[in-house]
Amino acid sequence: MEQHSDTFLANASKALKNSGQAERRDKIGLLAPQIRAAAIHSFDGFDELRQHVKEVRQHSLNNLDYYLSQFEKEAVQNGNQVHFARDSEEFNSLILDICQQHDARRIAKGKSMVTEETGLNSFLQGAGLNVRETDLGEYIVQQAGETPSHIVRPALHKSANDIRELFQQKHDLGARKLDKTSDLVVEARNVLRKDFLQAEVGVIGANALIAENGYSMLVTNEGNGDLCANLPKVLIVCTTIDRVLPRAEDASAMSRLLARSATGQPQSCYTSFYSGPRREGDIDGPLETHFVLLDNERSNILSSDYREILECIRCAACLDHCPIYTSVGGHAYGSIYPGPIGSVLTPLLTSLEQSHLLPNACTSCGRCAEVCPADIPLPDLLRDLRHEEGIKKLSPQRWRYGLKLHAWLARHPPLYQTLTAIGIRILHRLGRKRGRFSRLPFADGWTSQRDFPAPQENTFMQLYKAKMKQNNER
Amino acid sequence: MSGSARSEIFSRLRETGRGETAENIQRERLSLGSAPAPAPPAPEMCQAFILNVLKNQGSVDCASNRSEAVRAIAHYLYAHFHSYRLVAGNDPRLAAMPWRDAGVLPRFGSLQAGEPVALSFARLGVVETGAILTWTGKANPAANNFLPEHHIVLVDKNDLVPTMEKAWEKIHHAVEKTGRPRGIHFIAGPSSTADIEGDLVYGAHGPQRWHVILLGDVPGDAQNVARDASKPQS
Repeated sequence: MEQHSDTFLANASKALKNSGQAERRDKIGLLAPQIRAAAIHSFDGFDELRQHVKEVRQHSLNNLDYYLSQFEKEAVQNGNQVHFARDSEEFNSLILDICQQHDARRIAKGKSMVTEETGLNSFLQGAGLNVRETDLGEYIVQQAGETPSHIVRPALHKSANDIRELFQQKHDLGARKLDKTSDLVVEARNVLRKDFLQAEVGVIGANALIAENGYSMLVTNEGNGDLCANLPKVLIVCTTIDRVLPRAEDASAMSRLLARSATGQPQSCYTSFYSGPRREGDIDGPLETHFVLLDNERSNILSSDYREILECIRCAACLDHCPIYTSVGGHAYGSIYPGPIGSVLTPLLTSLEQSHLLPNACTSCGRCAEVCPADIPLPDLLRDLRHEEGIKKLSPQRWRYGLKLHAWLARHPPLYQTLTAIGIRILHRLGRKRGRFSRLPFADGWTSQRDFPAPQENTFMQLYKAKMKQNNER
Repeated sequence: MSGSARSEIFSRLRETGRGETAENIQRERLSLGSAPAPAPPAPEMCQAFILNVLKNQGSVDCASNRSEAVRAIAHYLYAHFHSYRLVAGNDPRLAAMPWRDAGVLPRFGSLQAGEPVALSFARLGVVETGAILTWTGKANPAANNFLPEHHIVLVDKNDLVPTMEKAWEKIHHAVEKTGRPRGIHFIAGPSSTADIEGDLVYGAHGPQRWHVILLGDVPGDAQNVARDASKPQS
């Protein structure tokens, strides 16, 4: 996984200066929560569903050895070959081996965050294979030589005009202008249709694996994943070991949460369950099917204090509701998984040393936890990672000393209250005339963007004490 | 490589697992019960299903018998393609339709390049989501769901189930006899994408239009919902 989270602050500053992208992020930050809220409002039992799915996910993870083994047995019985990979290198090599066994040159790929995590595309392309992303957003990003900026909307950072220019460069358009969004979609549909029909191998992800019957679940709106799963002669399903659920009903219950949280739909257009190669009498479908199941730290996370992060269903609601994500966008995080989920997952998949800035990309507003359909306490996990960051002395020295000083003062309330009262009185006197400060020492992060209001004469604690005294005297 | 990876991964998982017996694990899962489902938009099943299909941007027709269904299909084909041709899987229920009554010319098999319309006979209709359920096989090749420009689906009123849980009950029961099909598809609308600036466009990779015909004794109120929705907007 290529990562540059160590430059998060510089990436974020750069992103804030791109007004076009900022506008599109503002739009998502405004609209996506409304769409989600409307979907959830129309379903009275949503919280009950959330708790039910959480209990099932916890039960599955508590007994993952049992359910993964059951899934493997059923999947093999269904005619699949099941492979396990400890890390990205093993995962990519396994897939290349399968492609080479079939002399495959053309790969049609559905959306899969796991393959983004392992860098599968560049690995296969390095071996001379032609890999084509077929989800529209992923296709756009691949053509532009970029990475996805959102888990569900990979090309969120690009305008229709950017995409038009990209297609003008990459496609033979002739006199076609592609004025409307629908023209751009039709253009991609026509180009990609040929890829689906010519590909020798299809690669898809899986939203869940079902232990009781060895099926995988794939949820899409475009139908591209289903074309990848049904047209090429070989199908490879890629996911991680933690995706197993006990029963088919559990996967459907999860899809109720997923569709509403990701796009505000009661169900995505296509929810497909795949069990293996074509059966006797079938006139289409792959002749050979593989599951490649990646660990890449999941088994370690399972035994850590961060195990709840494995309950994530990749809906991206936490991104859409995060004030940091909607301000700076996905690329600023410098990692495959952006937003609150990424700020927890990335340090666990790589190292805190490489990505300790990400858990600080948080205002502790708690919106991510409120909307998370998997009920993951994201702000708590982010705080725990920041705590670890402090213990490992990864943050700048002045931050650490500042926090230590604050902690010491907070443990000595009388001194804290005296010092804040003095500070507030000084600020009150200095700012009395204008009522605000356009510059303040140690606060240029605030005053560079907006004025700081001059405080009232007394602190909250002084007012509170005065009020209590008054009450007692009555 | 995969063999040693498998042993290592399972050995790590066993360290963190609770080491419970299969019986205890199954018992614990049973005790968690089933998920709650959303309330339907109308108390009557047909009406609720039609309302949800419309919400999914499908179009709907009702037909009280097979002859009417064929006429509805003919009407749809002519309105959109000035043709009476379509492709359908080798489903005995479709083979037995009175196609000649309305001059429809079906070709039975898998959709080929240049053929714009496919017809499927759904195994079930799911009221909760307004989805239809098909599975792969001779009766409905997967290409017929995903490659046409227009996908027409017949749903027998008696095959409506209220929730996805009920759908799975029926699927489990059916596959006990026939074996597990390769692919099971819940389809809830035409293919769509909002990947370009959030603008919703239909016909991303799969069908641009999705037309559902509910077959059987559909109550009048439900028929009215379908009829009103098919009227051109003034």
